[in-house]
Amino acid sequence: MTRTLAVAALLLLVLAPPLVASNQFLLHLGITVLLWTLLGTAWNMLGGFAGQVSFGHATFFGVGAYTTMILYLKAGLAPWYGMLLGGLVAVLVSLPIGLICFRLRGPYFSLSTLAVAEIVRLVALNWEALTNGPVGLLITTLPRATVGGRLVNWESKLPFYYIIAALALASMLATYRLSRARLGAYLLAIREDEDAAESIGIATVRAKVLTLALSAFFAGMGGGFYGLYYRYVDPDAVFPIALSVEMVFIAVVGGLATVTGPVIGAIFLTTIGETFRERFLVGHLIFYGLFMMLVIRYLPEGIWGGARRAWAGRR
Amino acid sequence: MALLSVADLTRDFGGLRAVSRFSFDVEPGQILGLIGPNGAGKTTVFNLITGFLQPSAGHIALEGRSVVGLRPHLVTRRGIARTFQVVKPFPKLPVRENVTLAAFSHEASRLRAEALAAEMLERVGLGDKLEVPASDLTLGEQKRLEIARALATRPKLLLLDEPMGGLNPREVDGACALVGQIRADGVTVILVEHVMKAIMRISDRVVVIHHGEKIADGAPERVVQDPGVIAAYLGTRVAQS
Amino acid sequence: METLVQSVVSGVLTGSLYAMIGVGLTVVFGVMRIINLAHGDLVMLGMFGAFWAHGLLRIDPFVSIVLWVPVMFLAGMLIYRFLLKPIIPGGELNTLLYTAGLSLLIANVALFAWTGDYRTIKLRYALTPLRPFGIAVPIPLAIAFLLAIVITVCLYLFLARTDPGRAIRATSQNPEAAALMGIDVDRISMLTFGLGSALAGAAGVLLAPSLYLYPTVGELLIAKCFVIVVLGGLGSVSGAIAGGILLGLVESLGAVYVSVAYKDTIGFVIFLLVLLLRPSGLFGVGRT
Repeated sequence: MTRTLAVAALLLLVLAPPLVASNQFLLHLGITVLLWTLLGTAWNMLGGFAGQVSFGHATFFGVGAYTTMILYLKAGLAPWYGMLLGGLVAVLVSLPIGLICFRLRGPYFSLSTLAVAEIVRLVALNWEALTNGPVGLLITTLPRATVGGRLVNWESKLPFYYIIAALALASMLATYRLSRARLGAYLLAIREDEDAAESIGIATVRAKVLTLALSAFFAGMGGGFYGLYYRYVDPDAVFPIALSVEMVFIAVVGGLATVTGPVIGAIFLTTIGETFRERFLVGHLIFYGLFMMLVIRYLPEGIWGGARRAWAGRR
Repeated sequence: MALLSVADLTRDFGGLRAVSRFSFDVEPGQILGLIGPNGAGKTTVFNLITGFLQPSAGHIALEGRSVVGLRPHLVTRRGIARTFQVVKPFPKLPVRENVTLAAFSHEASRLRAEALAAEMLERVGLGDKLEVPASDLTLGEQKRLEIARALATRPKLLLLDEPMGGLNPREVDGACALVGQIRADGVTVILVEHVMKAIMRISDRVVVIHHGEKIADGAPERVVQDPGVIAAYLGTRVAQS
Repeated sequence: METLVQSVVSGVLTGSLYAMIGVGLTVVFGVMRIINLAHGDLVMLGMFGAFWAHGLLRIDPFVSIVLWVPVMFLAGMLIYRFLLKPIIPGGELNTLLYTAGLSLLIANVALFAWTGDYRTIKLRYALTPLRPFGIAVPIPLAIAFLLAIVITVCLYLFLARTDPGRAIRATSQNPEAAALMGIDVDRISMLTFGLGSALAGAAGVLLAPSLYLYPTVGELLIAKCFVIVVLGGLGSVSGAIAGGILLGLVESLGAVYVSVAYKDTIGFVIFLLVLLLRPSGLFGVGRT
């Protein structure tokens, strides 16, 4: 049953967009949903599976974004390669951050990630030589690119859609593989009781650092994509606390420690939020807050987790 | 050669000396009882041996190799496993998964790890509860789960921290039998316990700790009559009488 | 030399307001072990309360504290009773996430209702700063400082001399023992959250004439609040006061002697260091 569902969803994902290519708003919505899916999935690896709730994941997103922009604007490296490098730089950055923050547990870990994120944001704001400070970085034209002999039309949203779809799918595949691997099982143990996990031979620090690196990689690539798509990056766009918090919400509302949870969370929150934003311009985050509260109170496994349990109960 | 040798073990917490020049050896195949009044430092000694705490001074060696400074998971991999005074299962995971995670330390494939887990659970009498979430077990069952989990790491030395706490007399008998069986399978045991009946029955040797210091070390019958030990538990007046 | 004195004075004055923000959060943590991420937004509500009182009702913002403190107290108790109480058994992390949701909700409802425009309160008597001994002291800041002292003294008297206050301290030290002594921990928790919210509102009112007001300012305030509360030791009222003043000083001196740009960074770096090296706070009185 889930197999058929997955294949159907995949086909929809790949075949539908060219049909609606004329409706740029729909494509933009799709891109936004997929970007949040990517970010929520990335966060979920550490937050959902390992139980380490980070309020500072914007750090990796922003590092990826700035790496991509800087490499293109200052070194001429095409942004699609820059995106990958953005992911790698985010991984490098995640190592000292993990070293510092993983010494703390529970809410203290969460607060420390928040502090780190703020420090990075402030550095980006003030290190003008590297980042242009509050002015930000702007891409005016994207380089020429050909796929299969055809020139890519950067004016249309379609190529961006495919790029982000590929990234989102890659992150979901990585999550799936993680959940099946021994590391995934270890992470669930760490989430339940870190000391007990240590006592049965699990190298908890290494597990957490590895997972953070994986998580940072995808968040970083998401940042790189952001730079590519929006073509403008500044510290308040890519490093704010609100962004980190939104990532948390997508994963929690959708369903922690599941592959599909963040997709559901992204679809749900983004569509409601964007529709509200269309009409009222501000306040769309009201729904994020509201649903976060409702989910924790009534559906702690998230929408997807709850749906899965209800489905299993009926059979 | 002694399996575990602890020499001059000391641990300070700021101004408080919790463990003071504590030394003892455990021979392979022994069951060593570690007793002492509340707050004497017994769990601290366990934490020091298993790497959850670092000693301020002293040596701890398993089969001649020092284990000081190793993180707990490495101590486990060397062959020392433990249970906790207050049970720490993985509550939302099924019973079998709790033990399978430990079995992964010796079995690479999930299939074989699960098989080892099932075997250990059978040994402690939880074979019929494999898919139950650990939080649904009774206290006695959770204690047995922790023992199975520790055994799945194939330890040479098993540290049991108050396994009988909270058990009724029939369960205590069962636990004693289990410990005896564990020893028969070739695992050396150090047992921290308050239930004297159990200590007397199964220990080959008893070490008494009081205010962080060793005050007696020998056969159970002798230790229990040692005036110093009696004074520690019941006060000097009773000891002198 | 004069710069140094000016720096110190500004730092202490600002720090006293920071302290007011921190005290509310730390009191709640001490009793309920909750880190309330919505605390900054409660301060924001106090700020806007003062603004609207001044703008619509022509009441001096500082005077409006008399109105907003009881209102926030009540609001806090209701939030505890109907929103937080069912969540708390789910664990620390769940509660933290819940308050994160609440924070987003409050901030964005405010944003929707009042728009994101920056607002200020213009007071006729506050146009030029006082200059005692040649040191510039903005009048609103000076008034806020004095009121902060009054509030702190009242808080101390409440905690030390009244029965509910003592019950709060007892529960903060040992909830189980307190329950065994006949203290209704649930009622005390409700009282404490009300108190924490009232303090947040008061801090907001005091801050309003001295800061730019906008609905999402809570985000900035809560970040500073953590630094203060962790510096002083989670759960300790005197620690929060000391932490607030310390942060004020660090930022003020940092701006002058290190760099204006990075003055906020210093606070966060210290925060991390304290969390890692001395988690019970600089004075060792906090609960970890």
